[in-house]
Amino acid sequence: MATILEGRNLRKTYRLSRKNTVEALKGVEISIDKGEMVAIMGPSGSGKSTLMHILGLLHAPDPNHGPAPELRLAGENVAALSDNARTKIRARRMGFVFQDFNLVPTLTALENVLLACDYAGIRGKAAKDAAVEALGLVGLADRGGHKPSELSGGEQQRVAIARALVNKPEIILADEPTGNLDSDRSAEVLALFRQFNREHGQTIILVTHDSEVGEACDRVIKMRDGRIRDAGQRAGTPVMATQAVAVPLGAGHSGFDPDAASV
Amino acid sequence: MRLVRDLGRRKLRSTLTITGIMIGIMALVVFGSMANKIDALVKGGSTYYKDKVTVSAKGGYMGVGGVLSTRMADQIAALDGVDVVVASTSMMLSDDASGVSMGVPPMIQGSVAGSDKGRETFKLDYASGRALTAQDEGSNVVVLGSDLSKQLKAKVGATVTLRDVSFQVVGILEPTLTAPDNEAMVPMAAAQQLFIKTLPTLVADKLSVNEIATGLIVYPKTGVDPQKIADAINAAVAGVTPMTGKDFDKQIGAATSVLNAILIGIGLISLLVGGLSVINTMAMSVAERTREIGIKRAIGASRWRIRREIVVESSVIGLIGGLLGLALGFLITTLGNDAGRDSATILFDLTFGTAFSSVAFATILGATAGFIPAWHASRLDPVAALRYE
Ligand SMILES: Nc1ncnc2c1ncn2[C@@H]1O[C@H](COP(=O)(O)OP(=O)(O)O)[C@@H](O)[C@H]1O
Ligand SMILES: [Mg+2]
Repeated sequence: MATILEGRNLRKTYRLSRKNTVEALKGVEISIDKGEMVAIMGPSGSGKSTLMHILGLLHAPDPNHGPAPELRLAGENVAALSDNARTKIRARRMGFVFQDFNLVPTLTALENVLLACDYAGIRGKAAKDAAVEALGLVGLADRGGHKPSELSGGEQQRVAIARALVNKPEIILADEPTGNLDSDRSAEVLALFRQFNREHGQTIILVTHDSEVGEACDRVIKMRDGRIRDAGQRAGTPVMATQAVAVPLGAGHSGFDPDAASV
Repeated sequence: MRLVRDLGRRKLRSTLTITGIMIGIMALVVFGSMANKIDALVKGGSTYYKDKVTVSAKGGYMGVGGVLSTRMADQIAALDGVDVVVASTSMMLSDDASGVSMGVPPMIQGSVAGSDKGRETFKLDYASGRALTAQDEGSNVVVLGSDLSKQLKAKVGATVTLRDVSFQVVGILEPTLTAPDNEAMVPMAAAQQLFIKTLPTLVADKLSVNEIATGLIVYPKTGVDPQKIADAINAAVAGVTPMTGKDFDKQIGAATSVLNAILIGIGLISLLVGGLSVINTMAMSVAERTREIGIKRAIGASRWRIRREIVVESSVIGLIGGLLGLALGFLITTLGNDAGRDSATILFDLTFGTAFSSVAFATILGATAGFIPAWHASRLDPVAALRYE
């Protein structure tokens, strides 16, 4: 299986004051395969979010004294790109889902999804079609005109998922996407991720505290104290086999093809 | 649409800011219109007095005031370089022109039609009726300036009372935006009759009415410097003050440019305050939307997009404030001119240029004021912004 995202020597130190610093990441190595659905688990403060921000190009890893940090997205080193270049990659090649949904409160569900299209340079009818399709995929076809405040938490998170996948990104990053949802809503959201992963081969990295969520993933990466303690094992080949068959089928079925999204 | 909704969300603050800009622009429009009017007056005067010498009695000004004699006209006409001399008799329409009014008070202006022998280049257009002719001498007829005709509510054929004497209106002028708008032009003899009644009996008894003049307009021969003529008049005739176009420009021009600067200055200061208020509004709006900016940055909005969003929003605030200010200014100048019509004091001239530049200025002001908060917003760390409560 091809590697889609690969990090090496990833460090991050937060400076609280001149003397006080927090070493949130102490040299992380990570490798994610294309089409994988990976959970990152670990105690609070272990550096999961920090790692997600770096993998999602929201933050750059610290330039090290020792070996330089490396972050390869589909083979290209993106560790030291300019803010503009990183923004472009976030817009076109990544999708984000956050714990507290993070929808723009003044915009309707459809407009929130369209915002992601707009930033990716897709406008007009193409954008409208893609946004409507994405809302349909998360089961909110009839809620496009609703403001976030008119939607339940589970619905808001599904809008956020639609926004994350509307541009058919190479990777979806989700930081505790079920953290604010009750167990039924969590199950729904998890099922959606599972479905996109199985049917469309969508690569998904998610941070979770919930061991049930972890178990539903192909692999669990365990973090502690700014390091990866256990990179996990890919679940048994049967999953791989179903997935390998499911990708082309799913892609043909709904026209959703993450490969086509690469810019 | 989205933008308008965003503005609506912060209704009170946006309203206050827009109101601030509106007041500033209103001041700019009103004062600018006033300055326009003054400019037009001065330009008209400047054009009128150019290339001629106007002689008044010492202590008089621009042909108004003390009494001269038509005999002086002959004396001056004989001087070297003088082409034509026109005697005129002017007085204020009413004596109670108390309280310094803006512009020119209504005047009665008398001279023999055609006595300039075609030298006068300041052309008057007639909205209705006809010009005075030399044959009108001896009859009480009048041509009214545009503002004055409105004040007197007179049409051609009507009879108006000027200084207790009835005159028949034979013509009404088109607006000139300068002195003639407020003039009643009558034959010389009629003006002399009116004028002598304004003098104390003791003085009046010593004068012969058909020799009275208050001003002499001296047209030099082509190529002769008006200043040379003025100097010659000073040397030859006692008790008079000659004045050239340059003198007019020097005195009036300097005074009005200071006045204009003050008027425009007041408008600009109020706009500066409006501009600061836009900065404040947008800065608060950015702070309030920190999280939203974080979301947008995270899902791929470039710094430039964030900046643009805020600058556009503040420009729209400026534009709305500008348009409202223009509307208010238009209302005030229109009402002011309507109110002033009865006393023939037209204070405002709201030109397209003033209207357009005021609104454009408000928009640019809004955009400029938006730059600082926009810059700040675009430099926010997306992750930190997302965490912001
Ligand atoms: N912006 C920040 N400033 C200072 N310290 C931070 C910041 N973000 C995270 N940290 C610290 O870095 C460590 C890792 O945090 P984080 O990556 O959020 O952990 P997790 O997501 O696993 O709970 C924690 O000790 C946290 O307090
Ligand atoms: Mg976290």
